Amino acid sequence: MNEGTKYEAGIASDAQKNPVRVVFVSKKTSAKVKGDLGRQLMSYPNLILREVVAFQVVTIVLVVLALFWDAPLEQLANPLLTPNPAKAPWYFLGLQELLHYFPPIVAGIIIPGLVVLALVVVPYFNVNIRGEPLWATNSRRRFLIFVLLFTGALAFLGFFEAWTVLVPTLAVGALILIFYFIPQEGPKSVKSLRERPVSWWVMTWFLAVSLVLTVVGTFFRGPGWSWVWPWR
Amino acid sequence: MSELDAASTAGLQAASQVEGEIDRRDFLNEIAATALGIAGLGAMVVTYRYLSPNALFEPSMSFRAGNPDLYPVNSVSYLQDQQVYIVRTSEGFYAVSAVCTHLGCITQWKPESGRIACPCHGSKFQSDGTKVEGPAPRSLPHFAIVLTADGELKVDKMETINLKQVLKV
Amino acid sequence: MATTTFQQALAWLRATRVWKSIFRRGPARTNRTRSLAVFGNLFLHLAPVKVREQSLRVRATYYLGSFSFFLFALLTATGILLMLYYHPAVPRAYLDMKDLRFVVSNGVFLRNLHRLAAHLMVIAVFWHMFHVFYRGGYRPPHEFNWVVGVVLLLLTLFLSYTGYLLPWDQLAFWAVTVGTNIISAEPLLGHRIRFLLLGGNVVGENALLRFYVLHCVILPLAAGILIAIHFWRIQKDGGLTVQENPERKDHE
Repeated sequence: MNEGTKYEAGIASDAQKNPVRVVFVSKKTSAKVKGDLGRQLMSYPNLILREVVAFQVVTIVLVVLALFWDAPLEQLANPLLTPNPAKAPWYFLGLQELLHYFPPIVAGIIIPGLVVLALVVVPYFNVNIRGEPLWATNSRRRFLIFVLLFTGALAFLGFFEAWTVLVPTLAVGALILIFYFIPQEGPKSVKSLRERPVSWWVMTWFLAVSLVLTVVGTFFRGPGWSWVWPWR
Repeated sequence: MSELDAASTAGLQAASQVEGEIDRRDFLNEIAATALGIAGLGAMVVTYRYLSPNALFEPSMSFRAGNPDLYPVNSVSYLQDQQVYIVRTSEGFYAVSAVCTHLGCITQWKPESGRIACPCHGSKFQSDGTKVEGPAPRSLPHFAIVLTADGELKVDKMETINLKQVLKV
Repeated sequence: MATTTFQQALAWLRATRVWKSIFRRGPARTNRTRSLAVFGNLFLHLAPVKVREQSLRVRATYYLGSFSFFLFALLTATGILLMLYYHPAVPRAYLDMKDLRFVVSNGVFLRNLHRLAAHLMVIAVFWHMFHVFYRGGYRPPHEFNWVVGVVLLLLTLFLSYTGYLLPWDQLAFWAVTVGTNIISAEPLLGHRIRFLLLGGNVVGENALLRFYVLHCVILPLAAGILIAIHFWRIQKDGGLTVQENPERKDHE
């Protein structure tokens, strides 16, 4: 294709010989052949019966577990006596661990608020939809930005002595940096990790921090929210 | 016939294009939307008022703490029902809240260390509520404490006072 | 073809006027009747009539969305049954929990099942969210469905949290005390929201009743409606996200 040529539209006098409607394909787009999405099957019976079976399996497993695993019941609620430690349900223990380092407005309102906001806007950012590998383009500039953000985050967390957040952040950040430095070739697993986009890394970081915070809050915190080793 | 059509079409166009004029349909629509909006807002306010209880079956926020002589000088007495410490120093009385300012757990007075300690996250306060250590953001608040006409201490938990204020008896 | 007595009886039943007035389509043996089985059913027509073969594989979704929904259904069923022996009053609620454990037939089992399903549902919806993210299921045209999903996640957490208070034991009471105190840390409306949520200044009988109504009526209704929208959007946006196979041309 001669990229320097400018194309102009016009209507030919002979409508039979020339198409009346013309489509322009500019430099930036290309006609995309949609790949095959696979064949379709009738929902009934293929989907419906699979779901019914899955439901039965789930029910059976849960019923068996419920026969043996008892739900706890402590003493009657006493507003005058606070148990030590007073722990939230397990899915909020990560938040409670965060509360140990940051004031309630930050750990309780701002951070969860930002997390929800970040989740909601995920599909509206082109960078997430395109999903190009993190270090594919502008790698030098991205590297500098990343190092800046990373050291900033570590300094911030270090200042607040939020070790349980700092450790997974350090681990994921180090992994990201490793993939900047290692060469293109390598085994398939390494290659697929190198292809991951920025959204993948951010979500993985979030998952890692949440897991560590929740596990620490559940098993490693005792009276007065002090550090305990669970096996002692 | 076509002249009438042309005239009415022109009339419709004219109403939407002339400044300050509005045709009947849009006018009625706007009136209706405004009315619905007012009704909606009103409904929300009424619902909010409905949901905020006016009568609470909770223990009274204001209570009597007995004769001042019950409390020796330089002592901290914990009133369990009210979750208040009556602190008497050489200067006078403070009514210190026993609810930790961090997340609302009930603190405990530890006479051996001279500190009020919170079991939840390890916050510690002096006997007058000043924060010493821990994640609590502020010192424990002081409630209004007065001496009634018949010589009893009265504490009002609805009213917090300046931390330096002391009741001299 | 040789038919059993049962099949003959079923065929006879199906030919009756009563049956035909209820079930319009006939046995689902042709593609037309199979389509009608989904399309003509009030509940099932949330699902598409045809699905991509790829999306049926366990590896595609691990059936996590379905798992979340099954748990919701189990929770609703066990929850309704538990409601019949529970008075949302202080201290009666706690005594009812003891009743369920020692006096009511299968009370222990029902409560265990309810609590187990509740904890699993929180795990399931989180896992479902992560998995949808990692396989790119939020990409257009599914953006709005992702947002509906996030709201459903918040509803699940709130449902679990309101349910947590209902046993009215020490664990419940203090977990909710801490949680509502966090809410009051919000600068603008924190205290007001806490006051509305608790129906007062302290976690007391008003709080228990409000959490009960939230847990049993308001939140399940909201969740149910959003779940229906969540399924409907999948159907309308062309089914679950599947991987394109670029080597093969689309034969359709």
